[in-house]
Parts: sequence; structure tokens; C-alpha cells
Amino acid sequence: MQDNSSITADHKPADNKLSGRYEHLYSMLLDAIPSSVLLIDRNITVVSANRNFLEKGHRTIANTIGFQLEEVFPSVILDQMNILKRIFRVIETEEPVKGGRLTYRAPGVPIRIYYYSILPFRWQGQVEGVLLLMDDVTEQVRLSEEVQRVERHLASIVDSASDIILSLDRKGMILTWNRAAERVTGYSTEMARERFFTDFCIDEDVQEIQDILSRIDASERTQMKECLLLTSKEELIPVSWVFSPMRDSFNHLVGVVVVGRDLTEKRKFEIELQQSQKFAALGVMAGGIAHEIRNPLTICSSSAQFLMEEDGTPEFRLECAKKIHRGIQRTSAIIENLLKYSHPSQMTMNTLFDLVELLEETKALVTYHAKNHLVEFDTSFPEEPVMVMGVPTLLQQVFMNLFLNAIKAMPTGGRLGINIEVVHSDVRGQVTDTGCGISHRLIEKIFDPFYTTSTVGQGTGLGLSLCYSIVKQHQGSITVESV
Amino acid sequence: MNEKDAPILVVDDESDMCWILEKIICKEGFISMKALSGMEAIAMTENNIFGLAFLDAKLTDIDGLELARQLRNADASLPIVIVSGYYYQDDQYIKAALQSGLITAFVGKPFDHDDIVKVIANYKLRQAG
Repeated sequence: MQDNSSITADHKPADNKLSGRYEHLYSMLLDAIPSSVLLIDRNITVVSANRNFLEKGHRTIANTIGFQLEEVFPSVILDQMNILKRIFRVIETEEPVKGGRLTYRAPGVPIRIYYYSILPFRWQGQVEGVLLLMDDVTEQVRLSEEVQRVERHLASIVDSASDIILSLDRKGMILTWNRAAERVTGYSTEMARERFFTDFCIDEDVQEIQDILSRIDASERTQMKECLLLTSKEELIPVSWVFSPMRDSFNHLVGVVVVGRDLTEKRKFEIELQQSQKFAALGVMAGGIAHEIRNPLTICSSSAQFLMEEDGTPEFRLECAKKIHRGIQRTSAIIENLLKYSHPSQMTMNTLFDLVELLEETKALVTYHAKNHLVEFDTSFPEEPVMVMGVPTLLQQVFMNLFLNAIKAMPTGGRLGINIEVVHSDVRGQVTDTGCGISHRLIEKIFDPFYTTSTVGQGTGLGLSLCYSIVKQHQGSITVESV
Repeated sequence: MNEKDAPILVVDDESDMCWILEKIICKEGFISMKALSGMEAIAMTENNIFGLAFLDAKLTDIDGLELARQLRNADASLPIVIVSGYYYQDDQYIKAALQSGLITAFVGKPFDHDDIVKVIANYKLRQAG
């Protein structure tokens, strides 16, 4: 390609015919290009002007060629940009001026922006004049500014979001890291970029995250996961992640967009909800428990009254004393069970415990309530303890809810079945009732939050949705069937 | 058999409760019989005539007031007393039952033995007069 920093035209075509054709070719070129081209001699006279210049300036050959530059060029620009001075400079130094920018502003006329070059025109060793090239770059500049504006806007959206928004390449390396990510993790963008997403996950989750990223790479479908995020302060924050495939303009997969929501607040809310549910259940059972305490109290009271009477054999008096003692033990057991249940659960960590024992305790709490509603229990537990890993108070809450719901479904009494089965490494629990059942079209809704068939004040409708979430937390599943 | 000597029925699913009432009844000079469930109580009325019945309000198989209705169906003149830890004196169901005459008295748990003695005395009076 010819270097056009200084135009030399020493080449003399051998053939006149060819020379005529070259002239024609160049003339065509000059008139076809969208740039303005002026050839100016040492006296600043316009020797040649191309079509573009003439059209843009609404001029003709007749009123342009042979005239001074000041006469054909908008004086505003000449003055503003010191064009004349620069032209003289180029003639003198024989060095070109390239990449200058001039802005044409005139009232009532939309602003235009030009890039210009002034090149020395050499003919047979002499600089006869200069070539003034101008390109109208108004559109390009406008577009480029528009693009920058849009980019800034998008960047601002990502940065203003309260959720964590990251992008990863196909290998899981972090490409972008938004402000929320900095805030939640305590790591700045500089620290995060070029590390891997899995660097911020706990060891147990790394494999699964890598699997998720591979799956996106292979099938390009969105994936979700809840897991813990490591912060710079070595805290663990629960986050709900959504991984989405990221494509370029050719629709090829180029990486992964990761959006994360901090679940800390949600978890706090859930714990409070569980507590309030617990106490709602307690309210339901209170009557039954109060009643049941009264029986042993009555036996104690009457036994004491017998003892206070004059008559009575020593054997009888002993029997009375024993009954008082037993009565008090019974009452204590009821109260202890109640206390255990109503204690605020600080226990949120998983422990190993016997599910059967937990169910027996829960059943005991509900027995009084059940009896008041003429509900009998039908239990079927394995003989050995069934050890499970989980949070006992939470699982107790689940069964408590199921029991109370079952009893509510049997207003005139019935049978409440509790069945525990161990199938390989899974435990299967079943709570059945002989009550009114759930209609076919409503049964899908029962796990929805706030869905309830109870009247106002009788039930919040949160019980089953909480059960659902607790069971899920324990990596289990809960289903319902109405026959 | 003289109605005055008709046995008093005690119905409660807790045997210790029956034991208490039977002791008191015995001290007052009457014969008692006990049933540990509603079904048992109804079966016993088929073969016996009772002069008075003490019923627990919440039995395993039936509600006390419902049992009262059924016993009354069998014997319209049977006086019934509810002894209960579940209901309380001002309870609407108890009030309604007292007003309609379904039950003659209500005693809450735990109770003073005097309250039971009073009820039995009233029954004695009614029998005498």
C-alpha cells in the first residue's frame, strides 16, 4: 500500500493513452470518496477541489478554482483552527499535519466535526503546495459518544444493583465484579479479577459449582444453587445463586453471568417465623395441656384430702402418699416436655439424634390436644433408634404442624397414624388421618405461603410452607396425598 | 331393688380418678360402680339402674356431654354430674347443659371433697323426698 504521508508524483506514465486513463481514474476517485480534498498552491490559491467539497460548500468549479482559500472556505473555521498558519508551516517544513480535529459550529446549523490532514504536495522535488483532506466524522463521534453513554449506563445498572452480579469466562474465572460483590465479600474488583469463582466457595461446594459450570458449558441452561460465600473476614454468608449462560453477538457461549442474593436477612426472618409458628402451635395445644395437668393435680389434691381426714388405715395412707408422689412426677414430666418445646431454638446446627425419640416427645405434647378431639394415635415405629442428621427443634416443628393439621381435619374424632420406615439410607415418615381430606384442585396449593382454609385468626397458613422449607433444608422431600 | 340404694356410676378413663370418687361415695354410704370408657358406661346401663352418675368431660371415645345425652336417652331421670378438668364453671356448654337440665351439677378438677359430698347429699335428699 502506498504511504500517503507525502505525495510524490514522480512517476511518468510511458503511454499517453494510459496517462489519460490514470487521470480519469484519479478524477473518478476524488469525486467518489466522501472526504473533501483541496489542492492549494504556495499562494494559497485553490488549484483543485473534489466533488464532495463543492457539494458540501454549495460551490461550483467556477467560483472555487483559482480563488484564495479564504474566499472558498468558511472563515469561521479558518480562524478558529488556524488553518492558514498550519498550511504555511507544512509548506515550510515539508512535514505533514495529520489527525487534526475541527469543530464547525454555526447558529442554526447542526454541529459538525471533521478530521483533517494537511499534506505537502511535491512535484519534481519541489513542494508546490498542500493537499487539504477533510473527513466529516460527526456521525462516528456521535455514535461513539452514544456507545460510551450506554456502556456507562449499563455499568451503572450493574453497580447500583443490590444483588451480586458477576461474569465468569468459560473456565469459571472472574471477569467482572460489581459493587455489591465488593460490599458483601469485602474483596475489591482488583482482588477478585482473575481469581476463580470457586475460590470464594467453601470446600464442600467446590465440586458442585464446577459441575454447574460444566453443565452450562454443555447445555447452556440456567442453573441455581444456594451455598455459602467466603468473605475477606472469613465469615460465611448464605447466598442464593443463579448461573446463566452469556453469549456474544454470534450467539456463541462466551461465559457465565452469576447473580447472587444475600440470604442472611431471609434466614433471620425464617427463624423468627419458625418461632412464632411454634408459639401459635402452643396456643392450640394449651387447652389440652392445661387439662391434662389437672388430672394428676386432682389425684394429689384428693389424696392429700384423704390424708387430712382422721380415719384411714396405714395402708390406705401409704397409698395416698404414693399417689401424690406419682401425680407430681407426672405433672413434672408434662411441664418439662413443654419447656423443651417452647425454648427458643438457638440450635441451628445439625446434630445426630434419634427421630423416634423426637416423635414420641412430640406425640406426648399433642396427646392431650388429640384426646380432647377424640383422636387416637396409631403409631408404627422401628424397634431400634432411627438416627438422623438434622436440627431436632426444626423437625419437631414439622411433625407438630402435621399432627395439629391432622387433628383439625378430624373435628368429630378419628385416628392419627404415624409411621416411620427406614429404606436403605433414607427415612420415610408418614402422618395419616381419617379426616375430611383435601380437594383435588386445592391440594397443589397447600404448601403455598399464606394459603389456609382456616377462618381469620384460626390459622396463618404459614405452617406447611415452613414445613416445606425445613424439609428442603434437611435435603428431604415432602409430598401430600388425599384419598 | 330400692331406688334409694341404686348404685352411683363413676365414669373416667383414669382409674385413679375413679378410685377417688368411689372412696368418697363409699364413705357416704353408697355403692359405686366404675366404667373406664363411654362404651363401657353405656353397656353397664343395660344391666343396671343407676341413681346418679359422675362423668368426666373428655373420655377417650366420647365427649362427656354427649355421653350424658345418651345416658339420658336410656334413662330420662338419671341425674348427671360432670367432673372436669377441661371445662370450667362459666363455660357456655356447661351453662347450656345446666340450664336445659341435661346435667344437674358441674364440679371442676381438682375439687374439694366437700363439693362431691354436697352433690351426693342433694341426691339423697331428692331420693328421700
